[in-house]
Amino acid sequence: MRPYYKPADIEALNRQAVTLLKLFAARGYAREEPSVLQPAALFLDRSGEEIRRRTFTLTDPSGRDLALRPDLTIPIAKKLVEEGAPLPARRSYNGPVFRHEPHAQDQPVQFFQAGVELFGEADRARGDGEILALAIEAVRAAGLKDFTLRLGDLGLFGALVDDLDLPPHWRSRLKRHFWRPGYVETLLDRIGHGDETSRLPQDAAEIEALLDAQGDAPPAGRTRAQVIARARAEAAEVLKLDGNVAGAIVRLLDISAPIETALADIRALLKTAGIALDAELAAADARLAVLKELGVDPARVAFTAHFGRSMEYYTGFVFELRDAEGATELAGGGRYDNLLELLGAPHPVTAVGCALHTERLLTAIGGAA
Amino acid sequence: MTLALAIPSKGRLKEKCDQAFATAGLVLEQNNARGYRATLPSLPDVEVLLLSAGEIASALLAGDIHLGITGEDLLRESAPEIEGRIALVKKLGFGFADVVVAVSNYWIDVSTMADLDDVCAAYAARHRKRLRVATKYAHLTRAFFAHNGIADYRIVPSSGATEGALAAGTAEVIVDITSTGATLRDNGLKILDDGVILKSQANLAASLTAEWDANTHAACATLFAKLGVDSALVPPL
Repeated sequence: MRPYYKPADIEALNRQAVTLLKLFAARGYAREEPSVLQPAALFLDRSGEEIRRRTFTLTDPSGRDLALRPDLTIPIAKKLVEEGAPLPARRSYNGPVFRHEPHAQDQPVQFFQAGVELFGEADRARGDGEILALAIEAVRAAGLKDFTLRLGDLGLFGALVDDLDLPPHWRSRLKRHFWRPGYVETLLDRIGHGDETSRLPQDAAEIEALLDAQGDAPPAGRTRAQVIARARAEAAEVLKLDGNVAGAIVRLLDISAPIETALADIRALLKTAGIALDAELAAADARLAVLKELGVDPARVAFTAHFGRSMEYYTGFVFELRDAEGATELAGGGRYDNLLELLGAPHPVTAVGCALHTERLLTAIGGAA
Repeated sequence: MTLALAIPSKGRLKEKCDQAFATAGLVLEQNNARGYRATLPSLPDVEVLLLSAGEIASALLAGDIHLGITGEDLLRESAPEIEGRIALVKKLGFGFADVVVAVSNYWIDVSTMADLDDVCAAYAARHRKRLRVATKYAHLTRAFFAHNGIADYRIVPSSGATEGALAAGTAEVIVDITSTGATLRDNGLKILDDGVILKSQANLAASLTAEWDANTHAACATLFAKLGVDSALVPPL
């Protein structure tokens, strides 16, 4: 908790914000200004507990539930969906956000963020490159000379899993737990050894009978057909995965190195395992080309295959930009292609964006404490 | 300063506390009709407060009392991290209850947290909103679900009979306390195989945020000796 800002710090932050917003505007990003107080349901209904536990909520005197915005991405995306704005759409913002830090009582609960969002760009590789380049341009415009980058790609792992000869729910299980250290390895080990034992009857009629025998137990949000379908899929499951393929996935998740080395390692690994992920690798190459064009030294850029961020809504390319020593995260972002549908868009809308932690950025350039 | 010790004000926990004290040769004297305070004549430096089990947990956390007897479930639920704030000094061997994850028997395909994870993800994808978990134990639930890698759910606070939430249609899953499992069974619910969050019982607990002076320290040491608690567990000055 920090009860006050120093006037000099606020002035420096404001000057920095003007610089950043000018750059964003020059690149075609229109400024958005969501209110600090938002309907609580916007964040709470559609987010998992990780965002919920960090969100400050309050009840107004008439009984409405409100939240102090934990980010600006969700309100901006929601407005875009409601307005049905033409795509692609480019949006920018600057302002304070509020997040409870459950395990770090000394961390500020209010801090300024500036950021950009690119919605509905059909060419994902192009959108990823545009946001990555803009993040780098932005920290440079603010005066940051040296920094390190870490890149990851949830799409790479997703494509790898989609390539596996597994039932769909096992694929989504693997993808959901991608970010949990050790867990995917355990799941793959289970699949690789084919020891998934089911206690459900194999026979469809027996499954129906078992369900009928549950008396008036509440359906609890699931239809009979849904329960039976999943029960049958579980019962029928005899999982067996080629040990080479499972091993390749585990080794892939271990890869973390300077980007050029990492990409070469990933290519070699996929070749050995006989898996082709040309589109994903081409996208990774394109991002490397963007970095080189901006004069970023590839040796200062790490690629970490399991880097997926614990933020719930990322679905593809992810990155974080840190100070020269790598001690402090100054900016981060990535692709979140599912969010707009979750907010009510009638069909999928691609989305990629990034946020800058402008107070830390100011400290990193020596502008103020 | 006198040592403030809080014990449950009513019910089975109160009876069992009285028994435990009697076994240790301590007789509780309630000295006013309303019964919110009591003394232990053999320990004049101890002031006994009779509070609800939930109030005892929050008073320990806030440092308003030095010692308290209440359920481990309530202590662990009082804050996400009690380490450094509350010390559990003795399990008392009564007030047994488990905090568990329970789902409807109708979900014949769900018997583990991994199954529940699948169902949560499918529910979120199908309905574009999260499956609801009714509970009085929001902190314990969050920590346990996070440990099991489940993100696609949301907690709905429950203040009354949590076991009825599924039948009432206000939640799809519950996290609740159970001692025999009978209430859950009567409501058509089952405990997940790996869904026991905490095996709880009544604990003697010390507040580490309360003010400990020489007098309270000495009174605590005397009380611990009578109750058979290691003197090393007396909170430092």
